Amino acid sequence: MNLKNLSIKRKLMLITMLTSGLAVVLSSAGFLSYDLISFRHSLSQDLMTQAEIIGYNSAAAMAFKDESAATVTLSALQAKEDIVSAVLYTRDGKVFAQYIHANTRRPRLPAPPPERGYRFEGSYLEVFRDVSLNGELVGTLFLQSDMRQWNSRARRYASIFLSFVLISGFIALLVSSKLQKLISGPILHLEDTMRMVSATKSYEVRATKFYGDEIGRLIDGFNTMLSEIQQRDTAFHHANDELKTRTLQLEGEIVHRKEMQKELLTAKHAAEDANRAKSAFLANMSHELRTPLNAIIGYSEMLEEETHELGKVENIKDLQKIQGAGKHLLSLINDVLDLSKIEAGRMGLHLETFDISQMIDEMVTTLHPAISKNSNTIQVHLAEDLGAMRADITKVRQILFNLLSNASKFTDHGTISVDVDRSTEEDQDWIRFRVADTGIGITAKQKGNLFQEFTQADVSIARKYGGTGLGLAISYRYVRLMNGRISVESEPGQGSVFTVHLPAKVTTEVTEAAQTEKINDLPAATIETKSNMDTILVIDDDSVVRDLMSRFLTRLGFHVVAAASGEEGLRLAKQVNPLVVTLDVIMPDCDGWAVLNKLKADPELSEIPVIMVTVVDNETMGFELGASNYLIKPVDRDRLAVLIEKHRAARSSTLTNAKASPASRHNVSPKKGSGGSKGTITANGKVTVPLT
Amino acid sequence: MRKVGLLIAITCLLFSMAVGGHAEGLDSSDSSEYLIKAGFIYNFAKLVEWPSTAFAQQDSPIVIGILGDDPFGGTLDRIVADKKINGRGLVVKRLRWGKDVKDIRECNILFVSSSEKEHIDNVVDAMKWLPVLTIGDAPGFAKRGGIVNFTLEDNKVRFEVNVEAAKRADLTISSRLLTLARIVQQVPADGKALQ
Repeated sequence: MNLKNLSIKRKLMLITMLTSGLAVVLSSAGFLSYDLISFRHSLSQDLMTQAEIIGYNSAAAMAFKDESAATVTLSALQAKEDIVSAVLYTRDGKVFAQYIHANTRRPRLPAPPPERGYRFEGSYLEVFRDVSLNGELVGTLFLQSDMRQWNSRARRYASIFLSFVLISGFIALLVSSKLQKLISGPILHLEDTMRMVSATKSYEVRATKFYGDEIGRLIDGFNTMLSEIQQRDTAFHHANDELKTRTLQLEGEIVHRKEMQKELLTAKHAAEDANRAKSAFLANMSHELRTPLNAIIGYSEMLEEETHELGKVENIKDLQKIQGAGKHLLSLINDVLDLSKIEAGRMGLHLETFDISQMIDEMVTTLHPAISKNSNTIQVHLAEDLGAMRADITKVRQILFNLLSNASKFTDHGTISVDVDRSTEEDQDWIRFRVADTGIGITAKQKGNLFQEFTQADVSIARKYGGTGLGLAISYRYVRLMNGRISVESEPGQGSVFTVHLPAKVTTEVTEAAQTEKINDLPAATIETKSNMDTILVIDDDSVVRDLMSRFLTRLGFHVVAAASGEEGLRLAKQVNPLVVTLDVIMPDCDGWAVLNKLKADPELSEIPVIMVTVVDNETMGFELGASNYLIKPVDRDRLAVLIEKHRAARSSTLTNAKASPASRHNVSPKKGSGGSKGTITANGKVTVPLT
Repeated sequence: MRKVGLLIAITCLLFSMAVGGHAEGLDSSDSSEYLIKAGFIYNFAKLVEWPSTAFAQQDSPIVIGILGDDPFGGTLDRIVADKKINGRGLVVKRLRWGKDVKDIRECNILFVSSSEKEHIDNVVDAMKWLPVLTIGDAPGFAKRGGIVNFTLEDNKVRFEVNVEAAKRADLTISSRLLTLARIVQQVPADGKALQ
């Protein structure tokens, strides 16, 4: 068993026993060995005395060489049990007389050694002594003792020693087993207490303090520790209970929240459903609204032109009012639709590279009537290095259109200026459009929600100036869509300055430019020579549209072939090989997408540009299927004219090395006034715009 | 003390030279017998106490007289030469009966040679009251009133002591000597009790 792991009780007893035993053994061994040594010394002294007597008694015998007398003298040693042998040597070392004890088995008779005195030889004590007579040396006496007294004394001592050690050890055991409790008792009690505490986990238990010694202090410390633990335990339990309560509360809350979440989810689904229904409704409505508007605007335009030709000037104003109201309604519908598309994130970018100054020119020309309506003048400053930019031209145009029409709307007898320049910021080329006016301006308060939808600076403004209030909101969103920014500086009564920054090269994730490039990059080799340069195929199931388109295009000098269905359109396309095809989407049986697909799949027809003219607002789909342009009904006829003219120019330039006469370009230039424009369209289509 | 030690050593040497080798061969040689006897005489001197009156002074020598023919040769002289017993030296004198009367009376030890057999009674009678240790070398000397007498037993030199004679002579003989001696009673030569 490992000594170190003994219990304290045993250790204490062991220590006591060992210590006392060692003390007893050492002291008695010291005492006994001292006694034995001194006894041995006294023995030797005794033997010396003995030798002296014997020597004295035998000196005369030796002097008179009387061996028998000497032998008799030596024989007297018989009484001494321990003397085993005695020898008398003459002066010259010869044995003179000797005595050997009867019990001695093998006496050892040494030659007389040179020195006198006693010595311990083995287990014998030997004495050599001079024998002299009246101071004269006569011989030497040798006495040999077996020290039996010493031996018996040593034996006796050994037994005494042993019994002494045993008895004292026993007594020490008794005493220590009683006394060790002084120390081990409290420790064992402490241990018991600790075991009880750890077993039952009850911290109310306290160890009893017996004495004021170190163990007592240890017990005090232990008790203090226990109280501390008890306190903490209580606190812990308390906290735990609280935690449990709170957890329960939380769980209840979670359940409640989950229920609420479910309800919310249901509500959300409902809302989404409602939203979808709303979108569908809007889409339907827009279709339903545009179709009649198409007719109203188209026919009022036709009527105006015809009335003009007939010279019934008094009716023209009325017709123009009908036309203006129709267009306003159309722009309202378009704005609402655009906004809802942007909100739904379905507004994509249709990127193309275009010349900025050309675009500005067109804009100004188009907007001139609106600008000059309030007796405003326009100043255009274009930087020389403007060049081209790559962006969604439709949206850029709409942004500028909104800004300019706002400026002209809120300015009276003032100046509207347009500044465009190019700058470089953060390794990127930026185009800055700056539209300034000297109008009523905007207050700081109004600036805050200027770009929010359906908000105009003032409710009264709507009444006075009209408008949907969506223009800036849409502009703002378009600018953001193209990674640009728009800002405004204004003082009430001092006019406003709107600044739009757009990247010179707008990028999007989806590249849709490839198809649009076709307009400018049509390869010459694929152009068919037999192409009928004046024929335009109109495919639309709506007879009103067919009628309007025919009349409008015919007026522009084109030969129009109309088809009421997709099948018919495809057949006619092969027959007439038109310059351009205008294609509606929603048609019975074979819809516009199918027709477009088939057109592009047919190698003979795939080169013919297709302009989608539809109420379906899905430009992306159109461009993906290979359409060249996408126009939403009711058709902006000016824009349509421009597009067709572009296609024709592209074709004729590649075909006939620019044989087309410049005049023909002017013939079809669709510079037409709109909504009370002061410009007039001449019979051959020429436009005169009073630029101030 | 050193001198004494040296002296003893020389004495031992001389003694051993004189005694050595011959001590036990007494049987044939007279000289070895008398060598032993000479040693005995010296030893007697050690074990006998004289009354203080026997010496004139504290350090007066012990005088050994040889009465009659000297059987020792120079042996006795050699043995006692330079010896001291109780502070006294030893002197050997050769004496003749009837001639050196005064010297005889002043001896401390008187060896009566065997040559003086006829004078034994006279000598004994003359020395009777004197503190002189008389030593005889003839049978019956002690019985006839001498104090010590040499005998031969088993070829060994032994001696007889007449204790009464010693007492008469006021000599104290050590018991150690007496234990070795054969004690004899005085027997008058003429058969009469000595008075």
